[in-house]
Amino acid sequence: METMLRDRRAVLVFVGPALLVYSLIVLVPIVWSLGYTLFEGNVIGGFQFVGLHNYAFLFSDKSFWQAFLFTVKYAVVVTIGQVGIGLLLALLYAFYLKKSSPLIRTLAFFPVVLPTVAVSQLFKKIFEIVPQYGLVNSLLHLVHLDAWIQPWLGQGGSAFWAIVIMDIWRSMGFYGVLLFAGLVDIPSDILESARVDGASGWRLVRYVVLPLLTPILFSSFIFSINGTLKVFDSILALTNGGPGQVTTPLTLDMFNTAFANGQYGYGSTIATALAIMSLFVTLLIFRSARSDVA
Amino acid sequence: MAFTEEIESGHLNRRQFLQVAAGTTLSLSALLAACGGSSTGSNSNTAAIEFLSVQQPNIGWPLVLSTITNQYAKNHPGTTFKTDFIAQGNLNQQVQLLAGQGALPVLYNSPPPDLMAQLTKNGEVLDLESTFQQLGVSQQVVPAAFAIVKKIFNGKFIALPFELNIEGFWYNKQIFAQNGLQPPDTWDQLVQIAASLQQKGIQPLSASGQQGWPITRLISGYLFRKLGPGALDSVKSGQAKLTDPSYVEAAQVVANLGKQGYFGRGVATLDYQSAVNLFLQGKAAMFYMGSWELRDYTTPSVNMIGSNNVGFFPFPNVTGGVGSSSQTPMNAGQTTSVNKAKYNAAVGGWLAYMAQNYGDVALQKEGAVTGFVVHNPPANLDPLTSLVINQIKQVSQPVLWFEAEFSTKATNISQQDAAPLVTGAMSPNDFMSAVQQAL
Amino acid sequence: MSQTLTGRRDEAKTSFGELEAKRRGPARNLLARIPIWVLIGLLLVIEVYPLLWLLLSSFKTTGEFSTGVFWSLPAGLNWQNYVLAWTSGMSTYFLNSILAVFPSLFLVLLLSLAASFGLEVMKWRGNNIVLLAFLAGIMIPAQLVLLPLFTIYFQAGLINTRWALIITYTAFTLPLSVFLMAGFFKGVPRGVIEAAVLDGANMYQVFFRVALPMVANGLVTIALVNFFFLWNDLLFSLTFISDDSLRTIQTGLLNFTGQYGQVDWGPTFAAASLAVFPTLIVYLILNQQVIKGLTAGSVKG
Repeated sequence: METMLRDRRAVLVFVGPALLVYSLIVLVPIVWSLGYTLFEGNVIGGFQFVGLHNYAFLFSDKSFWQAFLFTVKYAVVVTIGQVGIGLLLALLYAFYLKKSSPLIRTLAFFPVVLPTVAVSQLFKKIFEIVPQYGLVNSLLHLVHLDAWIQPWLGQGGSAFWAIVIMDIWRSMGFYGVLLFAGLVDIPSDILESARVDGASGWRLVRYVVLPLLTPILFSSFIFSINGTLKVFDSILALTNGGPGQVTTPLTLDMFNTAFANGQYGYGSTIATALAIMSLFVTLLIFRSARSDVA
Repeated sequence: MAFTEEIESGHLNRRQFLQVAAGTTLSLSALLAACGGSSTGSNSNTAAIEFLSVQQPNIGWPLVLSTITNQYAKNHPGTTFKTDFIAQGNLNQQVQLLAGQGALPVLYNSPPPDLMAQLTKNGEVLDLESTFQQLGVSQQVVPAAFAIVKKIFNGKFIALPFELNIEGFWYNKQIFAQNGLQPPDTWDQLVQIAASLQQKGIQPLSASGQQGWPITRLISGYLFRKLGPGALDSVKSGQAKLTDPSYVEAAQVVANLGKQGYFGRGVATLDYQSAVNLFLQGKAAMFYMGSWELRDYTTPSVNMIGSNNVGFFPFPNVTGGVGSSSQTPMNAGQTTSVNKAKYNAAVGGWLAYMAQNYGDVALQKEGAVTGFVVHNPPANLDPLTSLVINQIKQVSQPVLWFEAEFSTKATNISQQDAAPLVTGAMSPNDFMSAVQQAL
Repeated sequence: MSQTLTGRRDEAKTSFGELEAKRRGPARNLLARIPIWVLIGLLLVIEVYPLLWLLLSSFKTTGEFSTGVFWSLPAGLNWQNYVLAWTSGMSTYFLNSILAVFPSLFLVLLLSLAASFGLEVMKWRGNNIVLLAFLAGIMIPAQLVLLPLFTIYFQAGLINTRWALIITYTAFTLPLSVFLMAGFFKGVPRGVIEAAVLDGANMYQVFFRVALPMVANGLVTIALVNFFFLWNDLLFSLTFISDDSLRTIQTGLLNFTGQYGQVDWGPTFAAASLAVFPTLIVYLILNQQVIKGLTAGSVKG
């Protein structure tokens, strides 16, 4: 039986195709992309070797750093929001809802599966000011808070929050369910004994529940940061990086550099920077999780 | 699940499995080969004209061209015309893609000059000047259009001027009359008019910040009046920089308009059609735009204020400036180029016929003014169309627009940053230096 | 872990809630529940209202958008918007999405099944390295490989073909699928495999007749996870497809415009509603599995 399991030919047949496709389409292009960072040009005009020029330019490029800061700000705020609200939802599901819990969970989850462009177009209308007031401005008008009516998507600051609200709305149900799964794993006898010791309500959550949830919380943080650093769809469809380039994340900056400006080399450089950042942050969180658990 | 059941019940041994795999691979490759090809152009006898266009098939240039093709096909059966729609924002990318694969159609909306230069090198741009001479239709192009296209594309006539537009301020005559206002002669007067309208709660100007270029047109307009028609040529040649104080001043005055709120609050996200509607529904008093908008002005369902209510005044003079208002910003709209690689005698026949008839058909069908000569002007022209035609005749020297001579990257930056400029999020200095850096 | 997210665990949790309630006593119970109900109501409104509004607005005419008020009900059921949305593109976009996503799903299921069987069940040197290589792929930002991929497809003449999408989709869903599937294979007891071998089966027969049926449930989970990821893909379809007749739903929606970026709100919302339906239907029918699948993908990461 052992020889069968070691049958080289069979292994090739099984693993070969997947590995081939994966290498050709994912692994090779990664190396290729790093190669691109040393060139400039595009498929039409051809490529020229420029050495480390792209990297040098990266350091002085204002629009890159603007996108970088925006991406970091966005990732931090949305992660805290998503996971935080998700946690609150999970606590709600676990401790306060009985029969309705599955229904509410299902309802809160479903924005996660909707096409991002459709959701963004919806939110564009929600924040609209011209030609007619969208939901937010209409509500403000209704409660006579007209002074607060403003072009939410036309200003950098408020546009940021509009994007944040939209993305948190979209994903909070996801994290709610994720963390709920972690909550139900907590053995009820632990909670019982803590209860007997006098802990209840908020203190129970803080000193008993949260520590037990830590592994799954860290998983959620990592997953969320990874996803938010690479945000693309929702921002493209809602503001297209505007007004100006104020809400442009690194992914969109890279996309525009490569396809709108025809600079594949510099675009690859930005993508590389993004990948490094992603890796770095993930390792960082991983490290601190390890040290906490250890 | 059916898949696995089938495998289980049917006795698929290894040989059969490999056969299936081989068969699948073969058919996949066949499909790959089939899908990889591109559409062919016309054969040498009949012309199959394909047009990569940012306008939908049932309006504008595609509509006129298909009408012309139908007429042409009566004597040249088998001639066909097809439009491939591409959104304006994707035009550059699509042209590059298709060009690289040798699949660029015989007619395509022209990308910016720097890209056109690359395409010319690859043999995908037909020199229309010599072609028209050969076809004997050189006289069909309006001289002003000829000059404009050559100016945009570095002295070469490589694009068809399906539009010939002037730009200026369109204003709501009724609003002006009701408030005792006269069209301004100078920029300062324009600002005063805006101020008094604003005070009365009427939005003075409508402009699409989402598009950006309606705002940057104001910058170039001011530059041409202040510094003369060569203002942007100097930037291109390097004699002047956009960051020079005299240039920044232009950005400043436009930013001031925004600061005072003359564009309304939603300017940054206002899309093109909504900006048009603001004007045509009487909610904004003035609208800087090109005469391609005639199509909307002459459509009653869109133009709710009525075409006799729409007036025109050219970009005003700037006190102390060397330009004059007879130096009208003109353009040929989004032009169309011909793919040299797909050009042959059949296409040439169609092209000649098209050149002879475009002016008339466009005027008839769309009320549009084009860069092609009109032979039989219709008797009862819409007054606005007549106005535009007259204005064109009065132009002493056409000038282009802000991004006309910029690189693609600088154009993108300029159009993207126009909205922050007028909302005050970006200073005029920063705006000009961002564009200058990208030139 | 999410795999234990079953009804029984729910009960264990709710008993805790009940204990809590008993402690408070009946009257205080009701009062304590009011803010909860308010909270739930708020949650429902926040979650559901935007979509309800989307549906209602899809029936409005363009005029109603410019001149009406945000929450006004549509004047009538303007089905014209849906007809316009369907005929001016949505039908094509739907077809293209289906033709791009389902073949990819089929391919990735096939390939990941085979690969994880080879990686998990069979013994050979280097299987850990290969597995690790697949895992690394889960973290990779698509942007990093976008440009070289574009060049590869461009040189191969695959830009603006469905194959560009199918190949890309398959390759990018492989890492997670292999990972998840390997997990499922871990759960297949070796004893069953041994028994099959002793009965004279070769490796392929073991694969098809023994291992595959045992992870069949996993197939559904993986298919669902990948379905949503692929159906809602924007980046790849935006990059590789610019021909309007090959656009998928997301890029089609983005481009519901005229020459200068105008947006026709009525039909756009109708199009958005149409885009939302399939995912909604899949979700409503299979919601428990969808939730399980999507969360399994992340927790194990």
